[in-house]
Amino acid sequence: MVDNEITPELVAATLFGLAGKTILITGASKGLGQETAKYLAAAGAKLVICGRDQQRLDETLKSLLGSGHRSIIAELTDMDKLMNVAVECGKVDGVVHCAGIRGLSPMKLVSETHLSEVMATNYTSPVMLTRHLLAKQLITNGGSIIFMSSVAALSGTVGVGPYAGSKAALIGVMRPMALELARRKIRVNTLCPALVETTLTTEDRPWFDEISKRYPLGVGQPADIAQACLYLLSDASRVVTGTVFAMDGGLEYA
Amino acid sequence: MSDTSIVNTSSVSAPAFNGTENFVLEGRTILVTGASSGIGKAVAILCASLGATLVINGRSAERLQAVLDQLYGTDHQMIIGDLTEVDTREALIEAAPLYDGLAYCAGAASLAPVRMANEKHLQQMLSVNYLAPANLTQRLLYKKKLNTGASLVYVTALASRACPSASAGYAASKAALESYIRTLALEHGKQNIRATYVAPGYVDTPMLESLGTMIDMDKQSELTPMGKIESTDIAPGVVYLLSPASRWVTRSILTIDGGLSIAMRL
Repeated sequence: MVDNEITPELVAATLFGLAGKTILITGASKGLGQETAKYLAAAGAKLVICGRDQQRLDETLKSLLGSGHRSIIAELTDMDKLMNVAVECGKVDGVVHCAGIRGLSPMKLVSETHLSEVMATNYTSPVMLTRHLLAKQLITNGGSIIFMSSVAALSGTVGVGPYAGSKAALIGVMRPMALELARRKIRVNTLCPALVETTLTTEDRPWFDEISKRYPLGVGQPADIAQACLYLLSDASRVVTGTVFAMDGGLEYA
Repeated sequence: MSDTSIVNTSSVSAPAFNGTENFVLEGRTILVTGASSGIGKAVAILCASLGATLVINGRSAERLQAVLDQLYGTDHQMIIGDLTEVDTREALIEAAPLYDGLAYCAGAASLAPVRMANEKHLQQMLSVNYLAPANLTQRLLYKKKLNTGASLVYVTALASRACPSASAGYAASKAALESYIRTLALEHGKQNIRATYVAPGYVDTPMLESLGTMIDMDKQSELTPMGKIESTDIAPGVVYLLSPASRWVTRSILTIDGGLSIAMRL
């Protein structure tokens, strides 16, 4: 029967697809989190999307293919409410931590408040959310956790100290977590993208256009991150854990 | 009953977008070396089932033919020969008008403690694991055999960074290849030719088996946090890097080691 014929498309959809999986994705109301949500839903996952902005989160939810998706409005830096997010989320097969803020500041101007803010959003929130999910046994065996780090954690650039520190911290916490969860076949990995074109990064167009020239393959698109997530969330990466995967379009480091 | 199912299937249109389209390799010609066994065999089988047209290479005619017979689709070719020989490399380069990808999976491992790692041992490791892929790559570029958007993926080894005992020759040859790949990626990024490498930990393959008592696969699987790794666990990573799904990734390493290296200071 023609309908049952094995085609390359079917092989790709089976191996890299997410049918039958429920995935929690934070920072889904815009940027790369939003695009990743669209890809994961298209690939068959049921999503729990999380963000701060009700209207934009609703828009993301409406744009998702498939059915059974849910949204949770939450300020993830509110530690008192983080446990509720985990409970509301329920059982998941994967988590993609996309929520994050930029922390740009030359060292001599860094304030403790700013440093704490950046660490709270980029490090403490994703770590504690994962902790609550694990404590409540809400991540299924064979699941996959992705932290969104950055090339800023792997190479130095001036003026990004608070951000780089918070993203490097994610790599630090990933390794013990990956070891602790290996028994349950849960993988933990970090993606380290360089500049991705989003509304946030293109606010300063002249800067963006100038810096784009340093990328032989161009700057990244949210879809590039989304497809890396497909690989890391799907059973295609069954034994991939504790890795730091850099995506930078061949960026020529000055 | 059969009428109903025909009506149902024809009325349901295929979804316009399923997110995994870019992992398909249809219309792409890919050269797979080391295809007669282990990781190369798994990569060849998966690439073909994703629609790629392959040129496969290996040294054993019998085993390579068996892999060829197993591939999904038609138009695949096989070229038997040792990659350390120039004739084999030239035959591969001439086998297709243009390549969209290279999955370099050929490699050899032999172990010797530094005290015993004489010049012959080092030369052999370098010849198979570094000079052969480097020479093949150079000719592919020189003869303009790579299509724009081509992806070159090399299987290296966690050993290049982990450097376990008795691996001086092997690990250094893989490290040499990794450095080569990073320069290659830098030089050809602007032409949209990508170069990446997959570094596996201990994978259950004939290559490791050949080391006999020097590496106990069961013990290595016990040490690996995620347990035993099969060739079919490596192949999807190679495919991701070959495919347009990774179009922004170059000069990167993908470690597939079941968490073995987490506890190491690499």
